[in-house]
Amino acid sequence: MNLFRFALDNLYRRPARTSLTVSAISLGIAAVVALTSIAWGFEASWQKANDARGTDLIVTRIASQNTMPSPFRAEKVQQTLAGLPHVKEVVGLLSEMLTVSDDSPPVFVFGWVYGSYLWEHLKLIDGRWPSDRTEPVVMIGALAAEMLHKKTGDPVEIEGKAFQIAGIFESSAVVENGALLMTLDLAQQITDKPGKVNVLNIKVDAGATEADLRNIKEQVKQALPGFVAITSGELVRNNAVVRISKAMSNATILIAGLVGALVVFNTMLMSINERTREIGILLALGWQRRTIMKLIFSEAMILSLVGGCVGIAIGVGIAWGLEHIELMRGKIDAIFSIPFFFGVLGLSVLLGIFGGAYPAFKAARLLPSVALRHE
Amino acid sequence: MNYTPPSLPILRVDRLTLYFDDGQTKALNGVDLDIHEGEFVAIVGPSGSGKSSLLNVIGTLDMPTSGEVVFRDQPYSRIKDFSLFRRKNIGFVFQSFNLIPTLSALDNVIVPTIGCDGSANEYRARAESLLTQLGLRDRLGHFPGKLSGGERQRVAIARSLINQPCMVLADEPTGSLDSANATLVLDMLTGIVKQQGLTLIMVTHDMNISSRSDRIVHMRDGKIEHQQGAAS
Repeated sequence: MNLFRFALDNLYRRPARTSLTVSAISLGIAAVVALTSIAWGFEASWQKANDARGTDLIVTRIASQNTMPSPFRAEKVQQTLAGLPHVKEVVGLLSEMLTVSDDSPPVFVFGWVYGSYLWEHLKLIDGRWPSDRTEPVVMIGALAAEMLHKKTGDPVEIEGKAFQIAGIFESSAVVENGALLMTLDLAQQITDKPGKVNVLNIKVDAGATEADLRNIKEQVKQALPGFVAITSGELVRNNAVVRISKAMSNATILIAGLVGALVVFNTMLMSINERTREIGILLALGWQRRTIMKLIFSEAMILSLVGGCVGIAIGVGIAWGLEHIELMRGKIDAIFSIPFFFGVLGLSVLLGIFGGAYPAFKAARLLPSVALRHE
Repeated sequence: MNYTPPSLPILRVDRLTLYFDDGQTKALNGVDLDIHEGEFVAIVGPSGSGKSSLLNVIGTLDMPTSGEVVFRDQPYSRIKDFSLFRRKNIGFVFQSFNLIPTLSALDNVIVPTIGCDGSANEYRARAESLLTQLGLRDRLGHFPGKLSGGERQRVAIARSLINQPCMVLADEPTGSLDSANATLVLDMLTGIVKQQGLTLIMVTHDMNISSRSDRIVHMRDGKIEHQQGAAS
């Protein structure tokens, strides 16, 4: 018999209340885990896509805060950028979320400049690449092919225009794996945005330094009013959707934390009120006030840590489920890591500390003679 | 009749006064009492006479309104940690046993040692030995709900002795027992206390029980009415 076992016994003897408390905590923690992992995953998958392409800087409109910045005419901007020192390649990119068949959820359709470096990181796993910039074919990501039940040679209708799938590719970024890819010319044509792109991707030469990149950014600022050159990380971080999802995740952490602490607080307070006489007995038997506090804290900690562990499992399950529902497949890639789980367990410990503090203090302050008279 | 103390006082109660929570009613009204090492003192008196209040103050469960209690030259007013004091010096036996229902007999005896320095195995061995001495060798794993009243009180006696106190305070320890069990429990309690040379202060209504004590303290209206050697 030790303090920990005694604390466990105390929780075990009130199974209904213990289970309800653990359930409430675990649901809060599950919401935190699911939303946070998705918010981070959303950010990471877009950054991964940009990084995988080998883009050093992205030029877009200053006001654009969306995942897909609003399109602009590329020609003059592109010419200006191409003349900047250390700029090796400037290529446009157009992307839209489009429906490719009546019974499937919308998917990303990317239009990339034919033959540009953007294509280089993709791995062809079936079929072939488009033969020129105007061939009416699309490439399909491996995940999109699975979702849409498409294979090489199948027809696909995008915005009322018929295309054939030339091949299936694989990318390290889930956003690209879940997308359709065509040449920029075709994409501009079907979306009715001739000459327009969402962003211009800049690849600098191998000898360029961080200072050179900063210099390019500065020159873009001066030479192209209304435009900005940023890194892919900056683009993603400034992205409104990423910011909203992160804000939601932070709000969830706050709400789950408050609710969790209140649940632990309420449970421990009720438990102490019911066990007043027992606490009086323990004090009469020579338990020190700090031992009483440790007991109550231990119970609060056990509740919140068990709730935390169960919550992590549920949260991972929810995130996995969301990743795999038709509407979301290929668009989010929840991120989990050991430090993240430790962080969540840390949050659980905080729930125990805040929820258990006052009840423990109250229990320790009981007068033994008064507690012993309690019915 | 005057009472001749058998040894040096372990406890000196000096002009002790205690008011109830209402601040008007006096539970103890100027009690003076010396209790000696190894003595068995029975405190008797009608309900509301202040017996349990006196026991609570001696046991540091209640603080007196005025007056002083001195334990082996240490005034209670100077004790900083009463829990520690109780753990080291006092064992309690209550009328209603006050066992923890979800713990086995053995664990109930070990409970007071939680948070103490010392080896858990040693405490366990001591608890087993005490329960064996009290005839409960085959009841170690039983929960209070599966024990008779007499057995529960024996578990409570073992619990009161686990920290090797020098003084046992018993508040109507046989009050919830039938006469056969009461006699058995009293025999065991007095036997083990005597064997270990402990001081026993017992509150009781039962004059048959008090007659087995070294001294009977009669209380009425919060005062000691008179004291007598039990044999007299």
